[in-house]
Amino acid sequence: MNRGVRVTQTSTETKEAPAAPPRLLDNRQLRIAAGLVVVVGAAVALMYLFGGQPSGLLTQSLITGVLLGGVYALVSLGLTLIFGVLGIVNFAQGAMLTMSMYIVFFLATEWGLNLYLAAALTVPVMFGFGWLVQSTVLNRVMGDSTHERPLLVTLGLSLLIINVLLMVFGGRPVSVASPVEGSINVIGALVDVPRLIAFGGALAVAVALTLILRKTTLGLAIRAVAANDVGASLVGVNVKRIYAMTFGVGATCVAVAGGLMVSFTSLVPSAGEQFTTLAFVIVVLGGLGSIPGALVGGLFIGLVQTVGSLYLPGSGSLLLVFGIFLLVLFLRPQGLFGAKS
Amino acid sequence: MVGLTACSGGGASAGAGDTIAIGAVHPLSGGLAGVGGMMNDGAALAVEDINEAGGIEALDGAQLELRDGDSQGSAQTGQSEAQRLISEGAVALVGTYQSDVTENVASAAERADVPMVIDVAVDDKIMEQGYENIFRIQPNASSMGQAGAETLAAMGETAGVDVEKVAYLHIEGAFGTSVSEAFTEEAEAQGIEVVSTVSYPATNFSDATTQVKQALSADPDVVVVTGYYPDNVLVAEAVQALNPDILGVFGIASGAFDDSSFPADAGAAATNVLSANYHYAATSERSQDIRERFEEKYGRPMETAAMLSYQAVEVIAAGLEESGSADPEALRDAIANTSIEDPLLAFDGPIEFDETGENKNATVIVMQSQDGEIEQVFPEEFATAELIFPARDQ
Repeated sequence: MNRGVRVTQTSTETKEAPAAPPRLLDNRQLRIAAGLVVVVGAAVALMYLFGGQPSGLLTQSLITGVLLGGVYALVSLGLTLIFGVLGIVNFAQGAMLTMSMYIVFFLATEWGLNLYLAAALTVPVMFGFGWLVQSTVLNRVMGDSTHERPLLVTLGLSLLIINVLLMVFGGRPVSVASPVEGSINVIGALVDVPRLIAFGGALAVAVALTLILRKTTLGLAIRAVAANDVGASLVGVNVKRIYAMTFGVGATCVAVAGGLMVSFTSLVPSAGEQFTTLAFVIVVLGGLGSIPGALVGGLFIGLVQTVGSLYLPGSGSLLLVFGIFLLVLFLRPQGLFGAKS
Repeated sequence: MVGLTACSGGGASAGAGDTIAIGAVHPLSGGLAGVGGMMNDGAALAVEDINEAGGIEALDGAQLELRDGDSQGSAQTGQSEAQRLISEGAVALVGTYQSDVTENVASAAERADVPMVIDVAVDDKIMEQGYENIFRIQPNASSMGQAGAETLAAMGETAGVDVEKVAYLHIEGAFGTSVSEAFTEEAEAQGIEVVSTVSYPATNFSDATTQVKQALSADPDVVVVTGYYPDNVLVAEAVQALNPDILGVFGIASGAFDDSSFPADAGAAATNVLSANYHYAATSERSQDIRERFEEKYGRPMETAAMLSYQAVEVIAAGLEESGSADPEALRDAIANTSIEDPLLAFDGPIEFDETGENKNATVIVMQSQDGEIEQVFPEEFATAELIFPARDQ
């Protein structure tokens, strides 16, 4: 059963993998990426020339947009994996993000750990959590054709997480100070250092995920399961175990996201929720299961939202985001980097 | 504390009277559960204090009982909870923190002819329906915008600083728009020009740098801000990062700038940020005592919202004392004519309601975040610390 994951060259690549070293992006993806860069670049150039906005403001909004896009990409990377491989619409993604932020908060305040060390410790915890959720609960409700049951389970899971956090930590906003506060100046625009680190984290997670998927046996098994779970089990892959590993890896991405975002977030039990909807938009825009798609999609949405807010005040920029989303789906229903089914 | 326990000797003999139920509708679960729970605790503490002091004397020491309703932050749920509480015999309601929920709860209370005292809800529209049973203690949005402009002008005059141009940054929606419109109108009358108005979305807002830079591009003297907690923290952080040459950041009805979590949360960005808002009277001994006991009992600071819930229960209790009856209609008339001296909030005078149900003396005072604490700085009579204005190094 093909769940719409980007596995175009799986069949050839699995045969020839030892011979040709796989690249991070294939030619088709490079063409799409180059096309996007041209379109965005042209739009930016037009705005500088005829946009009617002060150039300093425009530069600032571009940089802010890219950094915001990094945050969006971080949240979306785990989701695209879970969505793409397991076919689970994970509504608990935002709640899991909040959960990992609270774990970082706990480690940083109760144990006095450095923020980034606490974030690193959160990674195995969240992997274990994701693995446990998939192996004990979700694996049992995954039928052959229904998406609804796992969807409802993740919805319930998100309510459970949020309310347990509320019970344990209360609803008052808390915060964790970053050891590297402040901002640097880049061509007249401000770059907030914790956000820059988060952006670097998004790139690192994207590269790491791609390497895992392309170069390891686990990655091969994940791609096989995503392409055809029945076929994969016939050749000896333990499908349920791969499901659990995948959900665990997805939760790990969220842990990295939470660890890097907590220093610039007012932490309340519902803090992560606002990212869930946009993360789904980004995943579908980029193409289900596509790691570069989530990265590029996140950056694109971040840019559109921030630069758009110069022209359309208030939530007008969100209208623009959803408008472009619909347009892309109209032109490329499989998403920017998605495979044609 | 001493005063209250001293009176409680008479409470035991009077305890034989009936209990009178007051319904409280707040968001006890969902995203606003933190503040909702705190407000419910504030109302519960008021009920406890009144009961300990002997209950309602005019009703033979009848005891009060607080019944909780959970709006879950949704208008429909709030309305059905209000109906449930009324049908269970609540003689009055307090609530609800959110304007849209309050609108629905108020309409339910009005239909049932049960008086409702709004603790927190800012929208002007709630009281424009011609309701007869609804009363509001805090100032509404437009009066806060207007008072904010007056205060800013007065503050500049006192400090000997010229405030000529301001940029307004507000959250999208009825709340932000109505405060900013009322501010702009009054500011013009005071000779202050609003040089730019920028609104930002209420959802999916996680970085304010672009909006703040946009507001600053018109070169204002002061940046005025209206919004809720997380977004206003982002605004303060963005102002700090951009480090503009302005006199200060001035919140009006800001959900963050006078919250006790704000100085720690925003760090250096909180330094000297000003906030014009309704606020508990830090200079009143009675409110100091209540805040101390609240913190002891519930283990967290009592913010202004919870003080308003406490005050709302006191208003209802005063109505019961004056009417000498637990009949909702008699209670309504008594509340409409009541006058509560020594309010727990920093207001212009006693709590008295006009014909629309708004508190005539509700107003704002100015707070400032100084050295990790929220201090009252203006006007003089409520000051707990000296105003620092210009609030930023120039």
